[in-house]
Amino acid sequence: MDGTDTGQFSDTDTLQRLDSPWDVVLWNDPVSLISLVVRVLRKLFSYDLATAERLTMSVHNDGKAIVWSGEKEKASAYCVALHGYALAATIQPSA
Amino acid sequence: MSEPFRRTPEGIALDLPETLRTWLADQAKEAAADAVRVDGPVHRRLLGPINPADDHDDPVSELQRQFEVEGSLGVLIATAHTDLLSDEEAEDWIRAFQLMLAATAARLSILSDDDVAGLDEEAATTVTTFQAGISLMIDALDG
Repeated sequence: MDGTDTGQFSDTDTLQRLDSPWDVVLWNDPVSLISLVVRVLRKLFSYDLATAERLTMSVHNDGKAIVWSGEKEKASAYCVALHGYALAATIQPSA
Repeated sequence: MSEPFRRTPEGIALDLPETLRTWLADQAKEAAADAVRVDGPVHRRLLGPINPADDHDDPVSELQRQFEVEGSLGVLIATAHTDLLSDEEAEDWIRAFQLMLAATAARLSILSDDDVAGLDEEAATTVTTFQAGISLMIDALDG
């Protein structure tokens, strides 16, 4: 590399993007039971009951909630695990 | 009728009518078949990309998710007529109930509480049957 700006990502940019945190977003759906969502959040993320209930009510009342943030690979794994319970989850770069 | 799912020292005992067992297995087979129809609503709901910015997941992730969906539904199909579930199988039943519930919601385009309230009797019964199954199995497993 000669250091010329090619308009594409440099190695540093790419590393920063890989290191940047990602959010796991859980979306409300009208058929999943609140008790199921609380249980899944406790089981997958080891949240205490109060945290799991708070996040679940945020999903229910606001339509969505960020339920976890961290490295992309782990966020993807959590998202896949939520999908295993048919919960609507996505990942996105943290704001 | 006694409890449909009951904790015993050997595992989770099932006490369900044969007609309900057969219906559940049929629903699970239908959900599994719909999940792999790539242009259908059930596929989009159960196996849509985890990153909305992408058209689809990477192939490994896609396969992993398809394997998980088919695995949980497959356990329910394989054990629908048994009398006793291990805890792991009971957890798969919870996942399968949820997958069948989400598949039903996708087929019926249920997107809001109003959509749920407007369901006809048969569809409403289907939704509440899956929800009751989830709730009762959670009680049996965790209670």
